Amino acid sequence: MAEPILNVENLSKSFGKIKAVNQLSFEVTKGQVFGILGPNGSGKTTTLSMLLDLIQPDSGSFQWFGQPPSKGSRKRIGSVIESPNFFPYLDAVTNLKIVADIKDKPYNDIADILQAAGLYERRLSKFKTFSFGMRQRLAVASALLGNPEVLILDEPTNGLDPQGIAQIRDIIAMVASRGSTILLASHLLDEVQKICNYVVVLRKGVMLFSGNVKEVLAVSDSIELAASDNQGLATAISEYPGFSSLTESDGIIQVHFSQPADTAAINSFLSQKGIILSHLADKKRSLEQHFLELLQDNK
Amino acid sequence: MIKLLKIEFKKIRTYKVFWILTGLYFVFLAAGILLAEFMINHIVNNVNSRMPIPFPHVAIYYFPDVWQNVAFFASIRYVLIFPAIIMIILITNEFTYKTIRQNVINGMSKTEFLASKLLIILLMAVIMSIVLAAGAFFIGLSHSGLSEVDFFIKGIPFMVGFFISLLCYMVYAFFCGFILRNTGLSIAIFTLYSLIIEPVIYFIFRAPFMFKNTIYTYLPVNSVIRLTEYPAIPMLKKIMGVNLQEHVSLTACLIPIAYSAIMIVTVFLIMKRKDL
Repeated sequence: MAEPILNVENLSKSFGKIKAVNQLSFEVTKGQVFGILGPNGSGKTTTLSMLLDLIQPDSGSFQWFGQPPSKGSRKRIGSVIESPNFFPYLDAVTNLKIVADIKDKPYNDIADILQAAGLYERRLSKFKTFSFGMRQRLAVASALLGNPEVLILDEPTNGLDPQGIAQIRDIIAMVASRGSTILLASHLLDEVQKICNYVVVLRKGVMLFSGNVKEVLAVSDSIELAASDNQGLATAISEYPGFSSLTESDGIIQVHFSQPADTAAINSFLSQKGIILSHLADKKRSLEQHFLELLQDNK
Repeated sequence: MIKLLKIEFKKIRTYKVFWILTGLYFVFLAAGILLAEFMINHIVNNVNSRMPIPFPHVAIYYFPDVWQNVAFFASIRYVLIFPAIIMIILITNEFTYKTIRQNVINGMSKTEFLASKLLIILLMAVIMSIVLAAGAFFIGLSHSGLSEVDFFIKGIPFMVGFFISLLCYMVYAFFCGFILRNTGLSIAIFTLYSLIIEPVIYFIFRAPFMFKNTIYTYLPVNSVIRLTEYPAIPMLKKIMGVNLQEHVSLTACLIPIAYSAIMIVTVFLIMKRKDL
């Protein structure tokens, strides 16, 4: 069994009448790239804020590294929550030194981290002169100070241009390859699917799913078929391995499979059964569409 | 503790606003103290022009009176407001830029955060008091030399009194900034209260000259300012027949200290419960 990094048990928080987080439980083990996926307002940031002692939970508890939360555990975690928070009138190096001081870490990796974030040339510029993308990169850089065991990122690519997104993702990939545990909150299914291997899906503070990304976010493919004899076609295709269900409308049969289906194989399978297709189309649902359906189903 | 001060020092070392306001404070302080004698004598001259027997000119920079006079002019509310505004800016910046959140996220406890701010207040009060004491010493030295025996002993209570004034007034400012969290609003309300509301209350509840212990005595800002209540002017002593103030009274010190203690406890309690 992998070493537990974070245990969350029945965590709840309300703001007035709104239940921001409701009975949330999950576990993160060492080396996981753990995604918290949910639309805006689903309680992702509230959850992370509670885990970092910024917000007091109404009920429930959590443990970092198998111990009750403390400032000591926070020093082992690098985090970016919401916007990058730095003193605008201080330069990048001074801002990072303050972070290092708080974390009891030496200054010697500041230069390397600024290099990795592509900010070394601007290290003595005041934070307020930085562009949006540079600010975000400095925030990620500060989270990497002192090589933390856990990296928490809240919407790290929010508002960035494609190049900025790619840079941040490269950094995450690099950190993950070192064996650090990553906790990533995002409203972008695509992002979670590309980066994470475990995920919890939140909606209005309630956990809908949790588990392996491939299982939870598995995309069921469907294929459109039509032939002169649609009834014979329906009978034949139901014998195809991995078949799960079909619907017929306007003379076109839509077939769902529990595993990815190959159109060429289906075509030859059906022709062996003596069915000549007049229409064959691969209908992959977009990931975003799937995510929306996932949320819809649980209304 | 050293670590917390190191962090605080990094936050202000290259912060222009901090150094400009600190510089302005010392300029106003020096100008106030050095122009005081000139201005008092200007008034004396005006009065003398209508008097058959002229009053003698006053001298306020002689040992040991210089200690009391420097402490008196340094704790005038228009001068004392500068370090208070500096403190308000330092605390509200943390909320404006959300760096208080980031400090806690990075592993500073909420208690440590407050402690670091109180430490910087303490350090600023110590440094400013030492600068003021050194200034008073050199002013006295240049006017009277070291002839007086008790020149130094008499200075201690007034300098300690000024230190308590400055310390408590900055704690008030810190409290105001912490509660309101907004720089402009905090400065406006704090200045309005210190410079206008309390003086207005004074006019409503004022007691006859030299009578003490009205409600006004116990108002927070007044209790700070009135630790050194009167300047030591020989002529004034002669006219009144009594010395208006011999030393800084310990009970007078307890009022602002009590206010500060209540504020500090309140801030810690709020910080413990409130979400950042």
